Amino acid sequence: MDVLGAVAASLFQFGDTFAFLVLSASGLAIIFGMMGVINLAHGEFIMCGAYVTVLASRAGLPLPAAILAGALAAGLAGMVVERLVVRHLYSRPLDTIVATWGISLIASQGTLILMGSTMQGVGTPLGSLEVGGYHYSGYRLVLIAVALALLLALYLFFNRTRFGVLARATIQVPHMAEALGVDTRRVYSLTFGLGAALAGLTGGLYAPTMTMVPTMGATFIVEAFVTVVVGGADVFLGTAPAAAVLGVVKAGLTAGYGQLFGQIGLLVAVIGFIRMLPKGISGFILRERA
Amino acid sequence: MPILETRGLNKHFGGLHVTADVNLAIPAGEIHCLIGPNGAGKSTLFRLILGEHQPSSGQVLYDGEDITRLKSFERIRRGMSVKFQVPGIFKALSVRQNLEIALQHHLDHGSLRQEIDELLGFLSLRDAAGQLAGNLSHGQKQWLEIGMAVALKPKLLLLDEPTAGMSPDETHATGEMVKELRRGGVTVLAVEHDMDFVRQVADRVTVLHMGRVFAQGTIGEIVADERVAAIYLGEVHA
Amino acid sequence: MSFARLISRIEGPQTLGRGPAFWGGFAVVLAAAYGYPLLADGYTVGNTAYFLTWTFMALGLCLIWGYGGVLSFGQTAFFGMAGYGYGVLTLNFGEAYGFTLLALVLAVAAAALLAVVLGYFLFFGRISGVFLGIVTLSVTLVFERFMAQTAGPEWRIGAARLNGFNGMSGMPPLTVPWFGGDIVLFPDVALYYVLLTLLLVVYLALRILVNSRFGNVLVAIRENPERAEMLGYDIRRYQLGAFVIGAALAGLSGVLYTSWGQYITPSSMGITAAALPIIWVAVGGRSDLTATLVGTLAILALFQALTIHGSQYALVVMGALLVVTVLAAPEGIVTALLKLPGRFGRRSAVRAITEAEG
Repeated sequence: MDVLGAVAASLFQFGDTFAFLVLSASGLAIIFGMMGVINLAHGEFIMCGAYVTVLASRAGLPLPAAILAGALAAGLAGMVVERLVVRHLYSRPLDTIVATWGISLIASQGTLILMGSTMQGVGTPLGSLEVGGYHYSGYRLVLIAVALALLLALYLFFNRTRFGVLARATIQVPHMAEALGVDTRRVYSLTFGLGAALAGLTGGLYAPTMTMVPTMGATFIVEAFVTVVVGGADVFLGTAPAAAVLGVVKAGLTAGYGQLFGQIGLLVAVIGFIRMLPKGISGFILRERA
Repeated sequence: MPILETRGLNKHFGGLHVTADVNLAIPAGEIHCLIGPNGAGKSTLFRLILGEHQPSSGQVLYDGEDITRLKSFERIRRGMSVKFQVPGIFKALSVRQNLEIALQHHLDHGSLRQEIDELLGFLSLRDAAGQLAGNLSHGQKQWLEIGMAVALKPKLLLLDEPTAGMSPDETHATGEMVKELRRGGVTVLAVEHDMDFVRQVADRVTVLHMGRVFAQGTIGEIVADERVAAIYLGEVHA
Repeated sequence: MSFARLISRIEGPQTLGRGPAFWGGFAVVLAAAYGYPLLADGYTVGNTAYFLTWTFMALGLCLIWGYGGVLSFGQTAFFGMAGYGYGVLTLNFGEAYGFTLLALVLAVAAAALLAVVLGYFLFFGRISGVFLGIVTLSVTLVFERFMAQTAGPEWRIGAARLNGFNGMSGMPPLTVPWFGGDIVLFPDVALYYVLLTLLLVVYLALRILVNSRFGNVLVAIRENPERAEMLGYDIRRYQLGAFVIGAALAGLSGVLYTSWGQYITPSSMGITAAALPIIWVAVGGRSDLTATLVGTLAILALFQALTIHGSQYALVVMGALLVVTVLAAPEGIVTALLKLPGRFGRRSAVRAITEAEG
């Protein structure tokens, strides 16, 4: 009984970490996969989603609707950023990263000016349940389910919908997609919006568990970065397995030594991974063949 | 002893067999051309020889030494040199500086300047010495890169479509350049589509098809080979 | 290489600014910089010294990013490493017998060592541009978070409490042993002169470095790494070399900053702090040392002037400045201005380049 309880507890710990990694990274990974751009304002889109969620929830919207509102707001903000800045830099992907860092700074400091250094949050719903002597947060179980559902939804979206297929065609052979009459600019714009919306969704989902501060996005980005570094450009073949592997590393270390050492271990593991598998990052293999 | 030899060289990418069991031996002093339809595995073979890719199996020997596990720069230091298909030059730097970077590791200051001037003459680029390399014409860029490759004083020069995008006159001039290099003792292995160029320079020709050595011989033998004509025709029809 | 040859490398294709006009202007600016404390009060001079402490990190980033083409977004990790290193050493061993100077050297060496280890994994793992940027940024963010949780009394190295989010303070300023009593470099005229001289030496040495054979290879790798390798260069070593030098310079800034204000906090390694050097170097002009230096000092002055209205406003302006620069003047604002005369007199500029190289 004790053994079963301990197994369930580790499984929960792993699932919780896995969900956090998947949700943190998916928006970043989609933009990177499609456009070769690392969006350094990723954390601020997460923050945007979280703030809108909390404001909407306090205005009386039920939490799930508030979270969707947060995702939507972040997605719209993403499309505005794409139109104003990113679009002009497609030929210079490395410069895009620097520009999005500027946006990140404007967004976090702007929020600080407008909303103050902290905002009252919303409580974590669903209480906790007890299994085999261990207490589990019901809401975190929901987050695990949402992460899995999100992976499934993205898979269906990119493989079963017209836009998704066109989008993938655009990544693989942009000029071919153009020749087929695909408006690649629109695809890029929607992709950036989608990535930002996923970031907003993540922010909304975690808003009830966090302190609302303008720099809250920074909590997510290290995990998002390392997951994308290991996973590369593909959300399904890259991000999900990377999150699974890193989830084991981080959950194990967190259980033994606490949250911070989980994170340090994560980073060390990733740096070691880079050395051990040069070119082991999924995108490289595709590029070599071309 | 051949200067370059590959033994049973294989390369898979995922399930794709790009190079299959390639055995090649290039004697020193030869100009050897590698031809074949698109996707025949020519560029991959080059990258295996240069060490940009690791083979799935097989060996690469240079001057009798197994270099399969050596890094690219270590192979270059043993006397290989390469000119890429797309001109691999330093676009934001001047022509002179491009050559300086190629020459500087084996020359001291005084002879460096003299050698750069000689190379500029050999490449007919003296007037363009101060220009940014990115502003050169396409043919000039190709020559500049050949110059950089030659600057290393290689024993084995690899050329990947050296005349791509050149006019017939430029192509011919490039051919003469290659022959001049051979007279100086350089062995040349060139991937080339331009059959006039191949006729002009090649001692022997190897045809690659679907990653395998399909035929080998003098240019006369290859042109007369109906099977070779068939694979090229097949490509036209495909 | 002879000494004269070395000096001749102070001008070359990798640096803007050459010929009598440039060096004449340089001499005037330098004379003004050395004369300036005579006209200003001690507080203002100390404040200017504060600006100078940052320039080393900026020049180091310029070397790595502008010349080497390596996106190192985590220079603040080395800054913090050396800053904390200086604090730990001096709080334990004090400032007597010129120990602060030894502490400076050791702290910078520690930052360089961190760069060797990190750089080994990154460059020998052949990680590409984008990934390098986010891994280095992750390193500094994790470092910040680690230091921020060291508030408890168990986090101490000898006599030095790490002190968590509030950071370390109370370390001695740099102290030079001298006949008839130590010279303590408080933020004042003496420190200003030391920093100015140090900056002059570092700036000129970097000019020589980037125009040397090493610099040639470095820009070659930035332009086309494959070609550089196919010329027989082990590009990993060159990139690692530039990375370590840049990290050591960031570390130097960290020590100077820590000794200037006698404190260091984890937030100096946070994401906002990490963005600032990127802004200085990008807005100034990352591909030239002079442009970076001028840009850095100008932006620091602007930033401080704006901070009167609140630092968050100043940071919004900094972010906007970065975005606008990337969009409108990707080579940097100072570089664009420096090249302006060349636009009008194209031929003379080309001649100048030919002469400089010929």
